[in-house]
Amino acid sequence: MTLRASASSILEADLARIVGARHVVTRPTALLAYETDALPGYAHRPSVAVFPGTRDEVVAVMRRLAQDGLPFVARGAGTGLSGGALADGVVLLGLNRLKRIIHIDAEARTATLEPGVVNAMLSREVAPLGLHYAPDPSSQSACTLGGNLAENAGGPHCLKYGVTLNHVLRATVVLPDGEVVELDRGDAGGYDLLGAFVGSEGCFGVALELTVKLTPNPEGVITMLADFATLRAAAEATSRIIAAGILPAALELMDQPTIRAVEESIYAAGYPTDAAAVLLIEVDGALAGLEADADAVTVLCAEAGARTVKRATDADARAKLWQGRKKAFGAMGRVAPHLVVQDAVVPRTMLADLLEDIATIGTNHGVRVCNVFHAGDGNLHPNIPYDASNAEESARVHAAMSEIMTRCIAAGGSITGEHGVGLDKLPYMEQLFTPDTLDAMCSLRETFDAERRANPGKVVPLRSCREWHVTAAGRA
Amino acid sequence: MSISRPTLRPHHVDELAAIIRENADGLRVRGAGGWMYAGQPVRASHELHLDAFSGVRSYTPGDLTISVGAATTLAELDACTRAQGQWCPLLAWGDDSGSVGATIATATSGPFADSLGRPRDLVLGLECVDGRGRVIRAGGRVVKNVAGFDLTRLVTGSWGTLAVITELHLRLRARPVADRTYYIDGASAEQIRAFARGAFAPLAAVPLSGELARTLGHSSHAAWLLRVAGNPAFVGAAQTALASLGACVEMPESAWGLVRRELAPATPLAGWQWSPLAARVKRAFDPRDVLNPGLLGTAA
Repeated sequence: MTLRASASSILEADLARIVGARHVVTRPTALLAYETDALPGYAHRPSVAVFPGTRDEVVAVMRRLAQDGLPFVARGAGTGLSGGALADGVVLLGLNRLKRIIHIDAEARTATLEPGVVNAMLSREVAPLGLHYAPDPSSQSACTLGGNLAENAGGPHCLKYGVTLNHVLRATVVLPDGEVVELDRGDAGGYDLLGAFVGSEGCFGVALELTVKLTPNPEGVITMLADFATLRAAAEATSRIIAAGILPAALELMDQPTIRAVEESIYAAGYPTDAAAVLLIEVDGALAGLEADADAVTVLCAEAGARTVKRATDADARAKLWQGRKKAFGAMGRVAPHLVVQDAVVPRTMLADLLEDIATIGTNHGVRVCNVFHAGDGNLHPNIPYDASNAEESARVHAAMSEIMTRCIAAGGSITGEHGVGLDKLPYMEQLFTPDTLDAMCSLRETFDAERRANPGKVVPLRSCREWHVTAAGRA
Repeated sequence: MSISRPTLRPHHVDELAAIIRENADGLRVRGAGGWMYAGQPVRASHELHLDAFSGVRSYTPGDLTISVGAATTLAELDACTRAQGQWCPLLAWGDDSGSVGATIATATSGPFADSLGRPRDLVLGLECVDGRGRVIRAGGRVVKNVAGFDLTRLVTGSWGTLAVITELHLRLRARPVADRTYYIDGASAEQIRAFARGAFAPLAAVPLSGELARTLGHSSHAAWLLRVAGNPAFVGAAQTALASLGACVEMPESAWGLVRRELAPATPLAGWQWSPLAARVKRAFDPRDVLNPGLLGTAA
């Protein structure tokens, strides 16, 4: 047995002692399950996967890894869309067994829970209290709140209610060196270390417990579908609604390729297939004034050129309109075996121009771009169905995506609104941020993880961290 | 509180970075005025005036975002956005003569924090210079952004002890069409609480002392000030519901100015303690302790 092999078998034995042998995965065929997340095009197999079942086990595992200075990657449900939860030959720390809701405080409208609780499960659990958890990523039936915390996840209803950052009140976190710290928003004065931690993509530490806000269910909800003959008219309607001071709960745009993919699938929602775009608009709140908001939205859409505005008031009709939106990614699965779900943000007034540019870029590269996105936030999701096993097609998809990203940066936008940087967006970080800013991000990371062992190689390109260069050179 | 120190007045961010790099004995950061005292003495050789970093840098109303210099006052921000039917609802404790930079640096919220957002919820990005002289451009100008580690949240509320803020990118909202303030007398705290948790959730519901009620021209020891905003149908129905709880008098919006001045917390840093992690953050961004040294007490 080589020295390396014996070190790894000692590690495996130690991990098995902490979490139980059946929660340590070492067989290469079993590890296959963890070599991707929901983004195609990347596959990295971990050396070992360990699944602690309690908070104490997580801390013990972290301390064991710290003892040998071993890098690791935390993972929730693996629904991420940036390659962020992939572990390339290092330890994968799965947190999906920690799914206990520890405490619900109906009075304070908060819930304290473990990181492996599934997003939609929390809302289901608190539904009898007339409450829900507001951030609702499309993967909400599978994704975990720990993963949401790491990614600062969004979702359609974040337009009105805010993203994960706005809904997490406290977190208990174990740092890579095994230290357990309590993070809060700085409400009592001083540093907002919770704010720094949210969205750190697993590079700062691992959440053991989090306390989130619960939102009262609205008294009434009206969902509308407006259809447009041009993308520009749909974008214009979006601007008019936002500018009028109506804050819809959601304002989603789907373009014609998306509408057709949905309508040809089992998720058909009755969207007009000849429309260039539809807007799915939801207003919610007190019954008093709700109709007035819906009427105002209808008028604004018509003024922007909507052909029709359909209104769903009962739960079944609403669910049907939403089904097409929520299952749009699934529907695209019929078109091709793989799907790149992109994520970028542009200023709202640039939406129409950007959509036209994206269409041109798609045509130039011979790829089919389907847009389904959070129009109210200017948060684009240009998606491209393709066959990842076709190298030539993959190259064209990659080239188109890279051009779209560059265009969004040039428009004063961002390379990600809710999916995170992970591995996939690393190449764009130096276009978006100055060297000083990236270096400061490295400093911040180092205060949480001095040895840079948590999710190595993600978010900030290593070469952007000046001191790390010096350290590396010094060691060489 | 005024301690006379020589003043440095940079006009450009690179000039500011040079000042920070060359300073050895501490800089007391100053935006529009004296918000940064916090009950702790600052040991500094110089006062750093940021008044050159003032004014609106860019504003596209349709994007509902604005970029302003850090020394821009809340009053200027309000006037500029009000003209477009918008607002940045910081509405912080104190008054509108304070600067936007100080409001964000101290994360000072106000009576509307739970409904309209705290500074951390309203800042999209910022430009600042840290204690190492690095010019940091954190976050962005768009309303949703998760690219990179969140230096914006780190600097927000750090009381100028990690970095000096020079420019801010803020989220705006359209002003509600109807926005009414009511003085309620005779309702119990339980009734107000139930109202506030119901469908007519107000922007704020604040109990008034007898003295505050008198200043507002009323006399009661159990009065409340509430603000309800939305479309006219909503506000009308809310007013009807409120009027059933007690004597309900409509007040001018300026009543909140009084609340913001009079009910501001006296010791905003009462709950602050250095943790080992916070001390590491301080050392990473201001290793020579030149930015507002002593303001948060001494790091362990």
